[in-house]
Amino acid sequence: MDATEKPRLHRRGWLEYAAWTACALVAAGVAHTLITNENYQWDVVAKYFTTSTVLRGLRLTIVLTVVVMFFGTILAMGVAVMRASSIRPVRLLASAYITFFRGTPVLVQLIFWFNIAALYPNIAIGIPFTDVSHGVDVNKLLSATTAAIIGLSLNVAAYLAEIIRGGFASVDRGQIEAADSLGMSSATKLRRIIIPQAMPTIIPATGNQVIGMFKETSLVSVLGVAELLQSTQLIYARTYQTIPLLIVACLWYLIMTLALSYPQSLIEKRYSTVRSRVSNQPVILDDVLAGGEAR
Amino acid sequence: MNGEAMVKGDGTVYARGLRKCYGDRVVLDSIDLDVTCGEIVCIIGPSGSGKSTLLRCVDGLEEVDRGILRVNGDDLGFFETENAYRAMSRVEVAAQRTRIGMVFQQFNLFPNMTARENVMSGPVLVKGAPKKPAAQRADELLSSVGLEGHGDHYPWQLSGGQKQRVAIARALAMDPKVMLFDEPTSALDPERVGEVLAVMKGLAEQSITMLVATHEMGFAKEVADKVIFMDGGLIVEQGPPAEVLGNPQERRTQQFLEKVLV
Repeated sequence: MDATEKPRLHRRGWLEYAAWTACALVAAGVAHTLITNENYQWDVVAKYFTTSTVLRGLRLTIVLTVVVMFFGTILAMGVAVMRASSIRPVRLLASAYITFFRGTPVLVQLIFWFNIAALYPNIAIGIPFTDVSHGVDVNKLLSATTAAIIGLSLNVAAYLAEIIRGGFASVDRGQIEAADSLGMSSATKLRRIIIPQAMPTIIPATGNQVIGMFKETSLVSVLGVAELLQSTQLIYARTYQTIPLLIVACLWYLIMTLALSYPQSLIEKRYSTVRSRVSNQPVILDDVLAGGEAR
Repeated sequence: MNGEAMVKGDGTVYARGLRKCYGDRVVLDSIDLDVTCGEIVCIIGPSGSGKSTLLRCVDGLEEVDRGILRVNGDDLGFFETENAYRAMSRVEVAAQRTRIGMVFQQFNLFPNMTARENVMSGPVLVKGAPKKPAAQRADELLSSVGLEGHGDHYPWQLSGGQKQRVAIARALAMDPKVMLFDEPTSALDPERVGEVLAVMKGLAEQSITMLVATHEMGFAKEVADKVIFMDGGLIVEQGPPAEVLGNPQERRTQQFLEKVLV
């Protein structure tokens, strides 16, 4: 054979064979216990997988995610713009908000909002120093679902605000100077120059937040909101089939997460091609560790 | 100087005793400028001599710390009161900037817009001009810088020289009275420098005032009405190109030119 035509074969280390073996063993073990351990009660899983209680819970979980992300995004845009303000107190206010909501656990925040009536039993909306006012009973106003939406929105807004700020920071300074030198107003600059260029950084990260929020909504079950987890809990409180019903919930979370990660990967691919046209190949760590070696 | 009477109104830049510091470091000091309408001024000097900073001050991108700076006959960014210069509102500053064009070393085209949209961006987004005539004007400007038919291209589809010519067209679309060029050819492939300089030479024949920070001595010699040599934040020497470049009086200018012109 002509030496110029010979293929170049790469080494396959013993680690690769060992990893395949380990992988097969683990898979076999998991499959074995899933099938033989009767405590999984797969028939119960199948029975409850599409019952109306569970499906209603799933719908509420989806609605919560959408509503929370909607309000969260609007709030986050405001906070992010404030965070980038040239006026110091405005900036401080925004960072105080972010610090507080990122610095305390979401679960605690949710319970707090649920019990806010203990702190402010009545809210009076009115004009200060006048008689014009309208009182509202907070306990009536704030149902568990409303408290859940407020709590999650306020929390996710803090994270989204940081993502948006990162997006703003990724815009080259020269772009802002070019807009300034044309005499562009701040609003136009934000709308036409900064936001469009920050989007490639913001959108993929926001997609991840959506997927995260979908699972985070399970926390509101502690407030008694009948979302996916709570609706399965309601069933097993009655039937004591705890494990199979938790599996039902897990399967739905998994299915929805996978369903969301496909569009997410498309979004990431689209924005990475627009930006830098880097390949989407995963980083191979041992190549990195090997360093300098020609690949 | 008896020329002071001429340094008023559109197309002029007038400075006395300009000073600009970054912290403790003085980057511009006692800068006096008299640029009359339609004059072509080339600013030369080593890197870090303050020529870019001077142009950025004239565009209002940097604030001067002390001194008088009038562009197009008006105090830039501030108005004079009895004991102080008081900052103008953003709207007033923006209005002043529409009459000053700036071309950057790194082009700074908007990557989310086509070449045509880049050129239209000033008239449409700032002056609120209707889109159709603005697009037509943009196409005319693009062909005037030799980029006919490139209107639909995005910046990443253009070469450096083409990008810079779009940037020049974008600045011209605002009908500026003063054009500032901050090392417009320094980021270009040597092959592409000529096409940008050719466009600038074309501009020089119109009556737009031009201030050009540059390392292109040939361009300065051929096109400039006045050459300013800067070093260490100071204007060391200024005059007609034949004098400053051909027969420099200052030792520092001679040293610089010896190295550059070899």
